[in-house]
Amino acid sequence: MPLLETHALTRRFPGVLALDHVDFAAESGEVHAVCGANGAGKSTLMNILSGTIHPTSGTIAIAGQPVAFASPADARNAGVAIVYQEFSSIPELTVADNIFLGREFRGRFGVVDRRAASRAAANLLGRFGIALSPDTPVGALGVADRQLVELARALATEARILILDEPTAVLSIAEQAKLFAVIRTLRQQSLLILYISHRLEEIFEIADKVSVMRDGALVATRDKAALISVELIRLMTGRDVSANAAPTPIDGQRRTVLSVSGLSEDGAVIDIRAGEIWGLAGLVGTGRTSIAHRIAGLRRRDGFSATLNGAPLPDDPAKALAAGVVYMTEDRKRDGIFGPLAVTGNATAASLGRFAPGGFLRLGRERAEAGEVLRGLRLVAASLDTPIGSLSGGNQQKVLFARALLARPKVLICDEPTRGVDVGAREEIYAVLRRLSAEGVAIILISSELNEVLALSHRIAVVRHGRVSAVMDNAGLDEHALLVAATGAGEAARPVVKLAGKGAIPAS
Amino acid sequence: MSAVASPARPGFSLPSLDKAAVWIVLAVLLLLAGLASDAFFKLNYLTNLVRQAAPVGIAAVGVTFVMLLRGVDLSVGAIVSMSAVVCALVMDGKPENLWLGVAAASACGAAIGLANGLVIAHGKVSAFIVTLGMSIVVYGLVQMGTGGTARGIVSPGFREVLNSRIFGNVLPVLVICLLAAVAIGIFLQSRTRFGRGVYLVGANPEAARLAGLPVTRITVVAYIVSGLFAGLGGLALLARTGVSGTNPGAGMEFDVLAAVVLGGTTFAGGRGSVGGTFAGVMVLFIALNLANVAGLPFAAQLTIKGLIIIAASAAHSWIGSRGGGRSQQ
Repeated sequence: MPLLETHALTRRFPGVLALDHVDFAAESGEVHAVCGANGAGKSTLMNILSGTIHPTSGTIAIAGQPVAFASPADARNAGVAIVYQEFSSIPELTVADNIFLGREFRGRFGVVDRRAASRAAANLLGRFGIALSPDTPVGALGVADRQLVELARALATEARILILDEPTAVLSIAEQAKLFAVIRTLRQQSLLILYISHRLEEIFEIADKVSVMRDGALVATRDKAALISVELIRLMTGRDVSANAAPTPIDGQRRTVLSVSGLSEDGAVIDIRAGEIWGLAGLVGTGRTSIAHRIAGLRRRDGFSATLNGAPLPDDPAKALAAGVVYMTEDRKRDGIFGPLAVTGNATAASLGRFAPGGFLRLGRERAEAGEVLRGLRLVAASLDTPIGSLSGGNQQKVLFARALLARPKVLICDEPTRGVDVGAREEIYAVLRRLSAEGVAIILISSELNEVLALSHRIAVVRHGRVSAVMDNAGLDEHALLVAATGAGEAARPVVKLAGKGAIPAS
Repeated sequence: MSAVASPARPGFSLPSLDKAAVWIVLAVLLLLAGLASDAFFKLNYLTNLVRQAAPVGIAAVGVTFVMLLRGVDLSVGAIVSMSAVVCALVMDGKPENLWLGVAAASACGAAIGLANGLVIAHGKVSAFIVTLGMSIVVYGLVQMGTGGTARGIVSPGFREVLNSRIFGNVLPVLVICLLAAVAIGIFLQSRTRFGRGVYLVGANPEAARLAGLPVTRITVVAYIVSGLFAGLGGLALLARTGVSGTNPGAGMEFDVLAAVVLGGTTFAGGRGSVGGTFAGVMVLFIALNLANVAGLPFAAQLTIKGLIIIAASAAHSWIGSRGGGRSQQ
């Protein structure tokens, strides 16, 4: 009997079927990798298994017993523990304190018995082969060791099922080996480890079984031994890796709009022309967003300079915006939407000067112009007065596009424009980008989804270590060629590949 | 859901619960008050009640802006005191100093607000601490200025005009002043670029920065507005009581805060309105009047005030979590 089993597990968010009748099974004593592209449903599945969100329908059974988790505490009590990407340990406390955080050992009069905690922690760490001293402050530890503390904390709850969400995202190769050794110990002790990762070579190294998710459904579960990397990519993307239809090339005589010097590894000046979609590809964490922020003046532009139509571009967000450089955030909730405010106010936030000559708002004009742009974007909302916070991700993104359009951009920087957006809205957003390009707006497109970059961009720049390492014409490029460029796979020492999107590098 | 409404059709919809809540409470409370004592349905009593509320109400209009901005202004009580004292000292009982006194008191309020705003916006210090500290500073200044005894005399005519009633001896001038302050506040809030900026910065400061809004300037101006309205509130208080005393505005910041929170402007920023604040002021004063009618001592009224702040905050955050801030991703 499988240790963990789900039957027809389904989760529906408004407008999105995040999880679609998933029948998943895994045995104890195995490392079971779960992979898939962004939005494939991995996180939703793990969040349901760890009690953070509730399924719309379907059942979960552990060791044959049906379970229903009302809260993460319920899941923990049933033996499911999750270790997230982000660290939640408290640096000022010791390893032992962190492991038993919230479940401190109480001595007489309710005083915390730190010696007992320290002994218990040493015991626990020893049992799983984790070489850490329980009395070291966590702040003094390296990233990998902090990760192991998180792991120990999950294990201290007597977990039978351990979920690791991209555990190596922040680790170097040497640190990764340390983590893998611990994971192998856990496997020997009959735990089930659910391992979420984008890194194919890792999956091939550590996993016993691999489950692939796509568009909310479980596509396949295979033994690793019977799986080759090409097939895994095919399962993840739903198609054979092939060349995309590149966008129609723009004529080479267009004038340069944005000129950036000091950003390229070889010292060349980067010119972005009117109507050009300039894709910024590269692995997560290579500094793409930082480049975008610095071009838009949101951060100090150390190390490079930019000119817009020949004039120096000021590195102040309001001035860069006034000059026509518009940045669209990758994180709508954090610094994109004004949640409680109406759609109209959200759309005109970056162009208030035009709607408020002399400081007094022309509400009628504001509403008319915002309404027109939003209708062009096919916004679905009850009215222009609806608070943006109550719209779906795709519609929120359309309002942010309206904000960018109303600011009359000469250069539009889109950072992950389709993140958290459903498939229908995604196509509409592509159409908007193509239309803007046809109207002569220069677009810098940042995306972790290689097929998105390939389908839209005229030229593609590859970013490594915060700099542009290559600029390629998008003619005959495919995901594989792009990946090779992005990872420097041709070089002798090949770094570990981490992709947040579709496509991945073969292990061989 | 349907496609977006046409701008030609303004799409009237029912006001949402968080906006309507305080008005419903006001209506119910007024009804209850009327049942408890028929005085509440007499025009004279009602206008007098609004007149009493003028100093708090005027100050609350200004504080609404800083609360919309996720800030708070605890110095308004001290500014009210300072304004009243400065006004009386400058007027010195002379008719020719009347406008000078009014101007000096307003300028004092605006200046304290400017100081608050500069420290909060540039020093990145919490508004709570800055304005609490400022209120102590200002109380100290007022004590030094008065030497601990009530000094200064208002100009002749100041009290008489503000306390008179017009329109057939029905509507007190102070009530008109309050309504004017509310009207100006509503205009600032919904018709000016500054007002829109306050909502945007309050709803999401980082997004406001990305959208190129002058976040620092908006913050400073909001505190100036708060200080200025508190200064005007001080004038209203002086007109009502006639003597400046040494600390006439003591504790008034709590009345103001209670009214603003009751009106639906929460500490989370970006939500609320000056109109709601006006309704909040009325609810507060009717409740306190009812307590008075019921013969409760002053101490009990304080307790009621505190409970109102807590209950209103809880109610609004409950409404917000159920309907207001629902998001799907």
